[in-house]
Amino acid sequence: MSAHNARVHELRALDTLSAGQTAIHRLHPLAKLICTMTIVICTVSFGPYDFIRLVPYLFYPFIMMSIAELPYRLLLSRVLIALPFCLFAGISNVIFNRSIALTIGSMNISFGVLSLFTILLKMYLCVMAALLLVATTPFTELTTQLRWMRIPYIFVMVFEMTYRYIAVLLEEAYSMTTAYRLRSGSKKAIEMRHMGSFVGQMLLRGFDRAERVYTAMACRGYSLKHIPFAKRKMTGVDFAFLSAVFISCVLIRVINLR
Amino acid sequence: MLIVNDLTVVYQDGTCAVDNVRFSISTNENVALIGANGAGKTSLLLALVGVLEEKSGEILIGDTIVENNNLRDIRTKIGMVFQNPDDQLFMPRIYDDIAFGLRNYDFDEPDVEQQVNYTMSRLGIEHLAQRSPLKLSGGEKRLAAIATVLVMSPDLLLFDEPTAHLDPRARRNLIATLTELPQSKLIATHDLSFAEELCSRVLIMHEGKLLADGDISLLNDATILDTAGL
Repeated sequence: MSAHNARVHELRALDTLSAGQTAIHRLHPLAKLICTMTIVICTVSFGPYDFIRLVPYLFYPFIMMSIAELPYRLLLSRVLIALPFCLFAGISNVIFNRSIALTIGSMNISFGVLSLFTILLKMYLCVMAALLLVATTPFTELTTQLRWMRIPYIFVMVFEMTYRYIAVLLEEAYSMTTAYRLRSGSKKAIEMRHMGSFVGQMLLRGFDRAERVYTAMACRGYSLKHIPFAKRKMTGVDFAFLSAVFISCVLIRVINLR
Repeated sequence: MLIVNDLTVVYQDGTCAVDNVRFSISTNENVALIGANGAGKTSLLLALVGVLEEKSGEILIGDTIVENNNLRDIRTKIGMVFQNPDDQLFMPRIYDDIAFGLRNYDFDEPDVEQQVNYTMSRLGIEHLAQRSPLKLSGGEKRLAAIATVLVMSPDLLLFDEPTAHLDPRARRNLIATLTELPQSKLIATHDLSFAEELCSRVLIMHEGKLLADGDISLLNDATILDTAGL
């Protein structure tokens, strides 16, 4: 049970962080959402060799993390999950694009290596911006804001349901694995020949459970098409934060000092 | 309070879960809904809150007929506590779970906080506010699930097997808690002694039909219980 609990706790770690009371946590979710989108759009819009020009964007995660008192290690461990995908995407550039881009001391750096580092930095900035948003904004406020922004309800629903059913699926998987182990002698893992029916059953049980959870939500007034009132208004502080981040990001994007 | 006229629920596969059921519940009345597994108790409860669309007949809450276009209002008047509290507790903290309904109805946050705190103190579960539902005992989960519904101040409470998975002490606590709630209650249960302690009237279902409707002493009638498969 402890392993299961640990996984669920790990899953809910960002939720716990989002309940903080720092100045960043108190900002309006819409301001944080727009800032995150700005960071992502600006970052992605740079070319494959613009590594140096991306570096100033590091101000955002570092300032946000220190003000919001977020544990850097936890967020970094989440960012690293995306690392293998980016490495696979960038490694081919290192192999095929060997023409020299710049020389530092006696070391030549190829365009391929430069583009790999650019991809990694872009990944870091985008994933970190998203994590910072989730770690400083309660999930319900975030989805309320998305619905209020008229994001198609099907996207918001998928977002909400995935979030709620991850723990449900984990619980189902845990109880099924326990039942399997208790009847499988000394085997420590599920055999491949049983994996098909195991995963199928888990999916069916997940659907069944998901339907019951959805019914319980509907009984308490949850409706996909209901757009909540924007109860909280943006204050001067929210506008100041939004302006500061937005203007900084745009300036960094537009100004090229090289 | 609640009037049900000729309610029938037929699922898409042709199963008739509720067959022409007719009954009513008065204000502040506690009614037990008894029946064997598959008798149609849960389907009846779900039909009352408008979850099942495969229904025909008429359901009146007060003066309002339950229809698809007024379900949002209806669900402030009827609260349903599910058999498995895990289905009802899906937020990271119990506080957010209890506040879920109020927030869906656009209550202001100070009102939400006030009502959530009031409901938790009424049920004696203030200490659970910041806890995760995953770390609660069966009895605590049950009380938290009741709080999620009670916070909406409904006129009628529906319970589906409320004593399932509870130990004797949690069961006694639950009886004490439910006794103090002034709302009308319809309680689907297999636990006959629980029904006798809490309810003055019983509805007995068998294969989707209402077999008997009368005083709680009907539970002592072996012939009826035998016919109902209990």
